[in-house]
Amino acid sequence: MNKRLMGLLAVFVLLAGMLAGCGSATTSGKDKNHIVIGAAMPVFDDKWLSYLYDGINQYDKAHKNVEVKMVDAKNDSSKQMSQVDTFITQGVDAIIINPVDTDAVEPMVNAANDANIPVIIVNRMPSKKVMKKIYAYVGSESLEAGTIQMKKVAELLGGKGDIGLMNGTLGQESVVKRTQGNKDVVKENPGMKIVREASADYQRSTGMTLMENWIQSGKHFDAIVANNDEMAIGAISALDEAGKRGNIIVAGIDGTIDALKYVKDGKLNVTAFQDANGQGKGAIEAAIDAVKGKKLKNKFINIPFQLVTKDNVDEFIKKWQK
Amino acid sequence: MGNPTSSTATAVNQGSERNLWKEKIGPFISKYGIVFVLLAMVIIMSFLSPSFLKTQNLLNIVRQISFIGIVGIGVTIVIITTGIDLSSGSVIALTSVMVASFAHPGNSLIISLLIGVGVGVACGAINGIISTKGKIPPFISTLGMMTAARGLALLYSDGRPIPNLSDPFMFLGRGVIAGIPVPIIIFALVGIVSHILLAKTKFGKYTYAIGGNVQAAKICGINVDRYLILIYIYAGLLSSIAGMLLTARVSVGQPSMGVSFELDAIAAAVIGGTSLAGGVGTIPGTIIGALIIGVLNNSLDLLGVSSYWQQILKGAIIVSAVLIDSRKNKKA
Repeated sequence: MNKRLMGLLAVFVLLAGMLAGCGSATTSGKDKNHIVIGAAMPVFDDKWLSYLYDGINQYDKAHKNVEVKMVDAKNDSSKQMSQVDTFITQGVDAIIINPVDTDAVEPMVNAANDANIPVIIVNRMPSKKVMKKIYAYVGSESLEAGTIQMKKVAELLGGKGDIGLMNGTLGQESVVKRTQGNKDVVKENPGMKIVREASADYQRSTGMTLMENWIQSGKHFDAIVANNDEMAIGAISALDEAGKRGNIIVAGIDGTIDALKYVKDGKLNVTAFQDANGQGKGAIEAAIDAVKGKKLKNKFINIPFQLVTKDNVDEFIKKWQK
Repeated sequence: MGNPTSSTATAVNQGSERNLWKEKIGPFISKYGIVFVLLAMVIIMSFLSPSFLKTQNLLNIVRQISFIGIVGIGVTIVIITTGIDLSSGSVIALTSVMVASFAHPGNSLIISLLIGVGVGVACGAINGIISTKGKIPPFISTLGMMTAARGLALLYSDGRPIPNLSDPFMFLGRGVIAGIPVPIIIFALVGIVSHILLAKTKFGKYTYAIGGNVQAAKICGINVDRYLILIYIYAGLLSSIAGMLLTARVSVGQPSMGVSFELDAIAAAVIGGTSLAGGVGTIPGTIIGALIIGVLNNSLDLLGVSSYWQQILKGAIIVSAVLIDSRKNKKA
């Protein structure tokens, strides 16, 4: 029985290896004409991040001399650490990390620095201490997303109203920052009040459930402000189904394709477009710069959030169609 | 003469009262202890929130739990055989993306549903065959399926949601028949069929026999492997039904759907009195278990309890519910 178990495990390991190897069949060589980039990504199973991965992969496909090895940490920091170690052992030319947890990224950066491999962090901003040790950070500021989102909501409400806040997965940095940005704006508007705040785990179905329960609680809402678009869409579905949409403003963040369609149909009032593709592209371009030894003036390469409403939604829909 | 007779009568009376307590009421409470937990929660909530007992809110609760309820029913039958199914959430995701890629406007609803059912049956069959013929613990085989099916869902959908579903398909998740949401109707049907299957048929009898003592079941001539494979297929089938309903409900196929669903489903089964040691468990129990989870989620949202506290309270209440129930079981 033990032998069988071992055999089966071996099969699983082999299968996993095959799948992981799909994107990177060749081994790395150490010449400058052939640049190998290791990309340690937090989780493949995320809609928004998949566009960031596309940004990296499109560059990979367009450049014959660039090879990207992309790996999935499955939201596990220790796994990400070992994946970065593997990149170092393989002798890649630069490493792009989108940290599972920004607090756990420092040892990875140290290990890469010890091996003289430049590190580019993308999407999730590390601490100031880590910022000093890396080549560049490519991303957008989560706080800014929450601020511009709530400012637009405040404008639409005329500076007063009851707000329901839908948080993403508790404990994540983006949730803390985006919500902080929301609350900063609410503080500036004495007429605005947060009457409900709860987590819907960044999921559409959970957002729907939460909104159903909020509607039943009999609370009055003037706006539902969600940490991402998926939850906002869930809230919209629940409000429509209950026939309670009325004049309630719904706002999300990210600007996914789905969300932009909702904006175009007038169902989602506000979203903040975070340019996933641009972040991916920016990260790999920074990695190439690092390999070529280019010096950067500013380590923070900002890919700014952009406010999307019905007025300007078409230009963002075009971005996805590229 | 009169005196002794009357005292004997009293003694007999007392005895029968004690017997009544011991043989009727006691077992009744222990058998339905978890029902009282649910009732207590409902009564407390109806005082705390005036909107709790509104018809729409109650319908919402049942619709919200119908998905984990359906999965929980399958998991219950598996757990009765001392097995476990960790793959439910991933089977939901795989079903979701495969069905959504076909259920576009203009395509046949029946074929869409067959694709969904096919995914569940195939995953369940693989779980069952690997566990029985490969003689490895179901914890491992279904863990493998959990990882592989999620990966397959991502691969198939390229990590992206699949929108544009047909109206007849979305009716499964959003429709209402005679005032009752469709997911609730399907949940009820699944519950009734499964209860009959488990309580009234040879299949059910053998399921309990395998869970009670697998060696004895084999000696009695039960084809254990065959029944186990059927049981895992049934669990897979129910996961895919839940996957289709959830997809129709959110009107998009998502590879990230159903994450940690298996744990909620197992919690529903265990709260409902299913023993992880096998041989014990009922479908009505699991439905009550799912309702407890649903009432809890709904109540905390209605009251506006902070999300941090929600998680702590949920953990505490789930464990206490089972504690109350298991104490009563021990007394009986």
